[in-house]
Amino acid sequence: MPKTILKAAAGLIVLALLMAIPKYVESPYALHMMILLFLSVSMGQSWNILGGFAGQYSVGHAAYFGVGAYTTMMLMQAKQIPPWIGVWVGMVLVVAVALAIGSICFRLRGPYFVLASIAVAEILRLSAINLTTLTNGAEGILVTELPAFKIGERVVTDFSTKVPFYYIGLFLALLTIGITYSVQHSKLGYFFQAIREDQDAAHSLGISISLYKNIALGISAVLTSLAGAFYGIYVGFVDPPTVLGLDVSVQIMLICIIGGMGTLWGPVLGALVLVPMSEALRSNMVTDLLVRVGLVNADSKVGLFLKENLAHAHVLLYGILVVLVILFMPDGLMGFVKKLARRRKQEAV
Amino acid sequence: MAILEINHVSKFFGGLAAISDVSFSVEEGSIMGLIGPNGAGKTTLFNCITGYYPPSKGEIFFNGRRLNGLDPDKVCMLGMVRTWQKVRPLAKLSVVDNVMVGALAHTSSLRIARAWAMDQLKVVGMEHRADFIAGGLPIGERKKLEVARALATRPKLLLLDEVMGGLNPAESDEIIQLILDIKKHGLTQMVIEHDMKAIMRISDRIVVLTSGEKLMEGTPQEVVSNPDVISAYLGESHA
Amino acid sequence: MAVFMQSLISGILIGGVYALIGIGLTLIFGVMRVINFAHGDILMVGMYLTYLAFTVLGIDPFVSVLITFPLMFLFGGFLQRVFINRVLKAVAQNQILLTIGLGLIMSNTVMLIFTSDYKLITTSYSSSTLKVGGGVSVSTPLLISFLITTAITAVLYWFLLKTDTGQAIRATAQDRDAAQLMGINVKRMSIIAFGLGSALAGTAGALISPTYYIFPQVGAVFTLKAFVITVLGGMGSVVGAMLGGILIGVTESLSAVYISSGWKDVVVFVLFLLVLLFKPSGLMGKSRT
Repeated sequence: MPKTILKAAAGLIVLALLMAIPKYVESPYALHMMILLFLSVSMGQSWNILGGFAGQYSVGHAAYFGVGAYTTMMLMQAKQIPPWIGVWVGMVLVVAVALAIGSICFRLRGPYFVLASIAVAEILRLSAINLTTLTNGAEGILVTELPAFKIGERVVTDFSTKVPFYYIGLFLALLTIGITYSVQHSKLGYFFQAIREDQDAAHSLGISISLYKNIALGISAVLTSLAGAFYGIYVGFVDPPTVLGLDVSVQIMLICIIGGMGTLWGPVLGALVLVPMSEALRSNMVTDLLVRVGLVNADSKVGLFLKENLAHAHVLLYGILVVLVILFMPDGLMGFVKKLARRRKQEAV
Repeated sequence: MAILEINHVSKFFGGLAAISDVSFSVEEGSIMGLIGPNGAGKTTLFNCITGYYPPSKGEIFFNGRRLNGLDPDKVCMLGMVRTWQKVRPLAKLSVVDNVMVGALAHTSSLRIARAWAMDQLKVVGMEHRADFIAGGLPIGERKKLEVARALATRPKLLLLDEVMGGLNPAESDEIIQLILDIKKHGLTQMVIEHDMKAIMRISDRIVVLTSGEKLMEGTPQEVVSNPDVISAYLGESHA
Repeated sequence: MAVFMQSLISGILIGGVYALIGIGLTLIFGVMRVINFAHGDILMVGMYLTYLAFTVLGIDPFVSVLITFPLMFLFGGFLQRVFINRVLKAVAQNQILLTIGLGLIMSNTVMLIFTSDYKLITTSYSSSTLKVGGGVSVSTPLLISFLITTAITAVLYWFLLKTDTGQAIRATAQDRDAAQLMGINVKRMSIIAFGLGSALAGTAGALISPTYYIFPQVGAVFTLKAFVITVLGGMGSVVGAMLGGILIGVTESLSAVYISSGWKDVVVFVLFLLVLLFKPSGLMGKSRT
């Protein structure tokens, strides 16, 4: 048992540190990075439940992310409904979308499911572009002012700094980790994994395949929509490509795949790797570093080229990472770490 | 009393009959052997009974309940479970987790399911393997795992599809003993097996299928002394 | 009526190019059972090759097919040898992810080189039309590309049916293990199939480049369309892909006229879902019951 106690203690310390960060860190950039990290953790973790545990690779999770983001933003802009109420509407809508998708796609296995999930997300993206009266089309929705969050008459926060977003993000990340943990440690987790490993065998053992696939999709979709809504209000802007595009779906999957699917900490690890990497590229940190180390002259052709283009290269990095992970560590970083640990144990024996 | 009744069941695939007009019933507490040359329709019959594809014609009754068109999970919840000729372990899960999946059919408590699963592993003599990853087991143990997992769903009727296929004589003997032990606990079984000696030892009655039709039904003695059966089998081994 | 005929004809013409894309995908799927999510990106690479040939060497886009086809064949063979070959036995999902990753690398590398600006190839005939009669006219570049498509498809068909290599490819598609037992070099057939599939996609890219904007992300749309086409036609069926391509071309063209051009892709995807729902084996495929 001391191992469990140790683990719990470590968890509490990390949690206390995370709670305390905004008290001591004032840099908005640092907080922004943390918020992105929380967002990525919750996106990856949401996908993990369906893709990692139940084995249904959705390449259309942008559908749920986008519906969550759009609903909240639309209600805020058109009807002045505050996001903490709009989020619930978004969740209801997402469940409806998910059930529709589930009833179509879950009759199909393997590649067909992947194709159908993409098609649905694309239909939603194109609809968002075309339903201009509802969504403002390709221009997207911009909401700059968030209403203050009050309990009774007391203003809890007016969202003027990044701190409230930090705590919402943290809450969301913890929520998704908590839900994954409880799924993993319940009948649901066992049934999901049985379906992932062998659908026919699972069926013969009394598991209703369509019911449990839909439950996995439902949980996954609702959590993804929460992340989407949070993204919307945090950035203050949504448009079809940024919340409904194929890139979004791929990014959601990637977090999980790089970290390790079907594990509790895989998506956390994936986010820890992906977010700093893509931010480093986006903010030209890599070029600056190369210049500072003296590898590249800032004013040379190469330096200028890097400065101009490397900022856009984070998707290229995603591509390279996916290829490397699939070819060399199909179980993700978690699987890789576990394998190393096992090898060390064997050597010690 | 008959626990399973098969009445004039046929199954067609694109006009071809994989099973045609097969009828028999299985007595509660007995072991029914199902034999026949390759392609006789034995596994197809299992698939029909357990709901993987509904029969094209005829009816199947289990404990007096009509099964036609019922999904495999519903069939399992009613108390009938099958194993697979080509074993289907949940490869990335541990042995005990595999069996727990079966046990969770009737409980939501992981603690109860784990205890029940361990009991089943003891029945097949694999409790020492509980924490192994199922995908890494040798074939003999995979077959036993299939049986333990099926037993964990608390069946009234167990359908075993060639659990001795690919095993060496010692392993086969263990399985025979296991089947007889399970019978002692009052569980009805229906067994597909290629090994004639084994099937003669364990079965109370035997149904012989050839080309989708029932050739005969009887006690092991009646089956071995039937010239049609012998020629059907000789026909196969000489082919 | 003239409007209907007009959009029907242009639908069929563009459908010819779609068929080429679909045949490429279905060939790869047939031989390797791999769904190539980089198919549209391969097409995009073909478009940029054509663009380079046009701007640097001054070669007409339709003539440049003679360069694009062999280059893209080599490119596809390379992809198969170095990447795809390693995941042939992996679960379908991992194959899909690998090709998605390869597609991302292609589109973003192209973006690094050419920026994400839209490029145009303007030829003397880019916007010229031929009057057919009855108020119906046909876009010249579309007509030329359709004729080239037809020729390529005919040659491909002959190749698959009549040559030894073509028959070996078909045998591999039918039963990989049996083909191997019969002494067919399955690995080589896979490389040829992926090369051919890529060459067809790249050629399609070359053929549409006089009438389409060229940009790094253009592939995604075509990947999706290629899936729709092959699923409609039945995965692995060459004839099915041809019909599927024409069907999608006509559907798009008609819904652009009678619904709106913004919704034409939605119509295609909805059609796709309906097929998946009611006839997942495809319109040409045998149903399995």
